[in-house]
Amino acid sequence: MKKINRREFVKRSGAAAAVGAAFAHYPGMAFSQGMGTTAPFGDYRALVCLFLHGGNDSYNMIVPRSNAEYNVYAASRQNMAIAQQDLLPINPLTPDGADYGLHPSMSGVQTLFEQGRAAFVNNIGPLVEPTTKTDFFNKSVLLPPQLFSHNDQQDQWHSLKGATVSSTGWAGRIADLIRDRVAGQLLATNVSLHGSSLYQAADETIAYVMGSNGPIPFTGFSSSGDPADLFYQQRLAFERVLDATYDTVYERGFAEIQKRAVASVDLVNDALALAPTLNTVFPQSDLGNQMRTVAQLIAVKDELQMERQVFLVEKGGFDSHDDQLLNQPDLLADVSDSVKAFYDALVEIGMADSVTTFTQSDFGRTMTSNGDGTDHAWGGNQFVVGDAVMGQELYGLFPDLALNSDDDVGGGRFIPTTSADQYAATLARWFGVDPVDLPSVAPNINNFAVQDLGFLV
Amino acid sequence: MNKARLLSTALSFMLSLSACGGSSGGGGSPPPPPPPPPAPITTAEAFQFLNQTTFGATLEEAQSVIDMRYEAWIDQEMSKNASLQLPHLRSLPRPQFLGELHSDRVDIWFRNSVDGFDQLRQRVAFALSEILVVSQQGALINAPYGVADYYDKLALFAFGNYRELMEVVTLHPAMGVYLSMLGNEKPNPALSIRPDENYARELMQLFSIGLVELNIDGTVRTDGMGQAIPTYDQSVIEGFAHVFTGWNYAGAPSFPQAFQNDNNQTVPMQLYPDFHDTGAKTLLNGFMIPAGQTGDQDLQMALDNIFNHPNVGPFIATRLIHRLVTSNPSPGYVARVATVFNNNGFGERGDLGAVVKAILLDPEARPAMHMEIDGKVKEPLLRLTQLWRAYDATSQSGVYPLAPAYIIFGQGPLQASHVFNFFSPFYSPPGEIRNSGLVAPELQIATEYQNTFVTNYFFLLTFDWNSEKANPGEDEVLIDIADEIAIADDTDALIDLVADKLLAGDISPTLRAEMVNMIDQVRVALPGNNAALAAEAIYFVVTSPEFAYQL
Repeated sequence: MKKINRREFVKRSGAAAAVGAAFAHYPGMAFSQGMGTTAPFGDYRALVCLFLHGGNDSYNMIVPRSNAEYNVYAASRQNMAIAQQDLLPINPLTPDGADYGLHPSMSGVQTLFEQGRAAFVNNIGPLVEPTTKTDFFNKSVLLPPQLFSHNDQQDQWHSLKGATVSSTGWAGRIADLIRDRVAGQLLATNVSLHGSSLYQAADETIAYVMGSNGPIPFTGFSSSGDPADLFYQQRLAFERVLDATYDTVYERGFAEIQKRAVASVDLVNDALALAPTLNTVFPQSDLGNQMRTVAQLIAVKDELQMERQVFLVEKGGFDSHDDQLLNQPDLLADVSDSVKAFYDALVEIGMADSVTTFTQSDFGRTMTSNGDGTDHAWGGNQFVVGDAVMGQELYGLFPDLALNSDDDVGGGRFIPTTSADQYAATLARWFGVDPVDLPSVAPNINNFAVQDLGFLV
Repeated sequence: MNKARLLSTALSFMLSLSACGGSSGGGGSPPPPPPPPPAPITTAEAFQFLNQTTFGATLEEAQSVIDMRYEAWIDQEMSKNASLQLPHLRSLPRPQFLGELHSDRVDIWFRNSVDGFDQLRQRVAFALSEILVVSQQGALINAPYGVADYYDKLALFAFGNYRELMEVVTLHPAMGVYLSMLGNEKPNPALSIRPDENYARELMQLFSIGLVELNIDGTVRTDGMGQAIPTYDQSVIEGFAHVFTGWNYAGAPSFPQAFQNDNNQTVPMQLYPDFHDTGAKTLLNGFMIPAGQTGDQDLQMALDNIFNHPNVGPFIATRLIHRLVTSNPSPGYVARVATVFNNNGFGERGDLGAVVKAILLDPEARPAMHMEIDGKVKEPLLRLTQLWRAYDATSQSGVYPLAPAYIIFGQGPLQASHVFNFFSPFYSPPGEIRNSGLVAPELQIATEYQNTFVTNYFFLLTFDWNSEKANPGEDEVLIDIADEIAIADDTDALIDLVADKLLAGDISPTLRAEMVNMIDQVRVALPGNNAALAAEAIYFVVTSPEFAYQL
């Protein structure tokens, strides 16, 4: 791609601003119930959601290391257990009485934790309201529907809507809430590097989807502005075809996506061309590529006039019904190395205090084994990374890992002791959502006594 | 548009009434006049039908449909034998890394889909492969023979019985590996080992009944409180998980010694009785399997238990209508097809041939008037195959080198990234589709990124991979643009020809105007380059919203 200098860019992006603003602002009514401020934030913050697709076996990601607690873990896990001496020790500033260690392939996260840049949020999952084992079996509380099912629990993490069918995700609702404050942004608040997702779906704003290495340019089009340039003419003709009136909802839906693609690709790629070369080495993996691209996009936030961004990156393959001990080390190594590289890159560009990375996953997995793997469960462990994180701490109650404990609804499936709503509300508050608007981000938050888990400054 | 739908349904209802009246005439009245001959099928109608039933309409096949009419054409297609994949893979030298054969598996998929004479069978097999999903991505990367044979089974059973297909799928080692029923063993409480629940869960959720009870028209049943009624709970999944214990690769000395080899990946799994749980199991709707049965007896009863659940008809009807005809069928359409699933008219439940025929001959698939929710977004892979079929595309080697189809198009033959397929049947993009309570599953993979990839690929296929290319690579699939070059001096004639081949002549005024504009500019800029004119015309059609739409 032709490189352009910064001055040229600013000139061009003036013209592009109309386009960018058009899709940062899908027409509709103001959404915020808060103070109704439309003032720009005046600073930059980003949330990076790392979704571990398939249900990460997170009770092998963080494991009790002290003898008494390890023995309970090992008795439940049997042939799925990580050897005690292989665990990477971590030393929380506020111990809960047990010692913990990380999966042996997660040295990157271990380092971040010990430096105070990372924290774990334990036994977290979708809940409508606080739930005990008695509540669960007596059906005396509302539960998220279709527990233990992949797509339904992914939808729960994304939407937080409990039994209500939802067409929006909590990141999408955040984008709607702040849309008047980020009116100057050239790109949508929500960007996905891994396909369209309910997480970023909204009523008023539309997420932008790019590839792991950013948007790809159209081979057949140029944006030279030169009337004698056939490729420029081709682009104009293509856009006029997209702008035509179509008879069916399907053609219109397809044309809308194509329009966004044509409108934004040069804007984003021209900006990315200005990104500094990062010295940080990222893993040679799809996740590594996604996280490198996010770091580059953050590096050119000023060119794109961004103040608030939510990025979605994803890694699949966590549905370890089979060969878990064979496959999990590589999966978690890629997660840990990519997150560590991303953090290092943010330090390199001076943005580590403005960006918070956090994990989500369908569900935790059964403590019991199915022979060579584990099955779908409920509560699991997640981690958050960034300089805004009150790190080197464990948040949330670690469950009693014994089978048939008060946390176990059968087979080592733990009732979450912290809800995904609390997690989302904590992140949203840091991001800049007005406190009175938190219930529209996390609809069940008022069912929980603690609305801010305290892991962010 | 609801009014239009009502009108269309009412019309077809009246038509069916008058047909009944005609056959029951008698008594003293004179015999009614013979019904007027049906109106001739137009080329546009034949294209609509063929884009539902093949990998892309062609003018030649449209003439067959016009001559034979729909039902006879379907009957002829259903009588054709299946084009298979496995014999091709077995005929090739075995590479050192078996996974490399997935490239050849995708190649033979394209040969059968683009050139296969059994088009309807292959199209239904492709639809089934997006419902009963296995994928080369993941544990099957080293089992290309198994994955090819699995697809062959879908083609062989495309017009067979769904209960039989469920059994073939359940015992196929490709599914066994993919959803980990293979190697699933009975409980061992001392080691806190319990049966693997993966296949049990997805067989019900994705392959047969879904999560909530359905009416026969596919709408969700509700209880007195207006809540959806779950079809099963965790205890039922555990019941089925216990059923599906004891199966492993066939022919091994023992269960623990059963490992994949080149041959057993295409042989149904074998029961190793010592590893089957023989306790009683509770299944759907409280059905109990007694203790002490063999693994095969348990399996038969369990599959019968699922197959006879009232949800299977509307569930499979909706999934197949989605793949073949429309994203938003009316409840009446689903009910008519589900009724045929429940009974094909001869007392057989699960007759897929009858179901496919009911889907295609339904008034809603062959409407007299069109509504803005008729049809669907074309699957991106079908945009490619339609172009290649319409333009007799071939490579010198005969190979279709599309191993990375899933990267370019967001979908490829048995290349989903998980068992939930490339897109969800419930996906609804933001904007008017979601606001209207409609779905458009294919738009889930039509992201800004993926659409750009596809648009760029069509640029390559039209401007570079065409019959005018000098010294093409032997695997480059070239479209034949000789007809277009011959008439390219006449812009209108060129556009007419391309529109006839790809859109049955039904091209929008805007698209035509922009093609005239671009072709005339190219004519000035590149004088005498008729190949570029032809490519320009084809490129504009295949990247247009109207070509991305399947009426």
